[in-house]
Amino acid sequence: MSNDFYTNSILPHSGIIIKICRAYTDTQEDFEDYYQEVCLQIWKSKDRFREESKWSTWVYRLTLNCCLTLVKKKKNNRQNMPSDFEQKEIGVETKTFEDESLNLLYTAIRKLSEIDRAIILLYLEEKPNEVIADIIGTSKNNISVRIIRIKERLKKLLDGKIN
Amino acid sequence: MEKSIESIWKEGFVNDDKLIAPKVNDLYNQKSIDLVSKFKKMYKINVIGIVVFSFIIVPVSYLVKIPYMGIMMFFLFNLIIIVNRKTIYKLNKIDNTLNSYEYLISFKNWTDKLIDTNTKFSRFLYPYMFLTMFFGFWCGEIGGDVPGDIITNGFINEYPHTPLVFGFPLVFVGIMLLAMIFLAVVGAKIGKWDFNLGYGRIMRRLKTMIKDMEELKK
Repeated sequence: MSNDFYTNSILPHSGIIIKICRAYTDTQEDFEDYYQEVCLQIWKSKDRFREESKWSTWVYRLTLNCCLTLVKKKKNNRQNMPSDFEQKEIGVETKTFEDESLNLLYTAIRKLSEIDRAIILLYLEEKPNEVIADIIGTSKNNISVRIIRIKERLKKLLDGKIN
Repeated sequence: MEKSIESIWKEGFVNDDKLIAPKVNDLYNQKSIDLVSKFKKMYKINVIGIVVFSFIIVPVSYLVKIPYMGIMMFFLFNLIIIVNRKTIYKLNKIDNTLNSYEYLISFKNWTDKLIDTNTKFSRFLYPYMFLTMFFGFWCGEIGGDVPGDIITNGFINEYPHTPLVFGFPLVFVGIMLLAMIFLAVVGAKIGKWDFNLGYGRIMRRLKTMIKDMEELKK
């Protein structure tokens, strides 16, 4: 991957990539792996970008797909691990941001299903419902309803300070 | 008043510059380790399988009354195990402190040598297996009779002037030799096909990874 490609095409979107990767990982090590894997996938798939959507939308979609694949792989690996090791792994939580409320919000987001995490992240990034629907591959109405439900769930988790 | 999730998000990320992207380097570190470990695991399972099979085949061949085949196969499989033990030793010698690219290149060199050894070995392996099975059948026992004797006697009765080589009709020896030469010629291809059947996927991934890494280096 050339430095130019990384600097011009990935780095301007590193914020959203970081935010998404953080939502799907519990540890700093996993986060770094996910981030690197996403960058690599963007670089490897760049020739498939057809300009039917914005580059940024394409980056979101690819980042989400990549994270979902990695989560799935990790789940499969966990199934092959001894149970005590699995519990220790899942129990790890890291405080990654200076802002305590934000750390708490991330902990709540990590409690959501993988797809709900993707939806709420895009919503919080102020992506219009049409764009979210397009990225997730569902209808705009479905997204609107799901956002309301996800927000209610997050509110409950935050009010109960997560359980 | 409790803050909404939207405001927590906005305030938390008020300055996106604070988000520090991890350094993108050594992308393939874990991938290379995983790939080589997967290969090692598969390879060891295969060798263990051969060990188990070599010990099972002897009593089984006695039970089905083709003991020569069992004994010859036992020696063949144990020869394969000895060769493989040596190759595994060399695989474990690959320095894992090298960077990912060098590590994968060392691994690729090792697999190239393995394929080369396998190819050479296959030229001998398949004719030998054929010979083993032939003798197993020829010297075995079916209903108290030896199939080899029945066939030889029948053939001699039909063609009384046929010359014999070590008790075998010359035609049979000729056919066997031709079959063995054929297997020796195609053995290398069968060996490669057999290797690809088991490890083809890993080998393709290895090539793709090395290609990607070379492109990344540019």
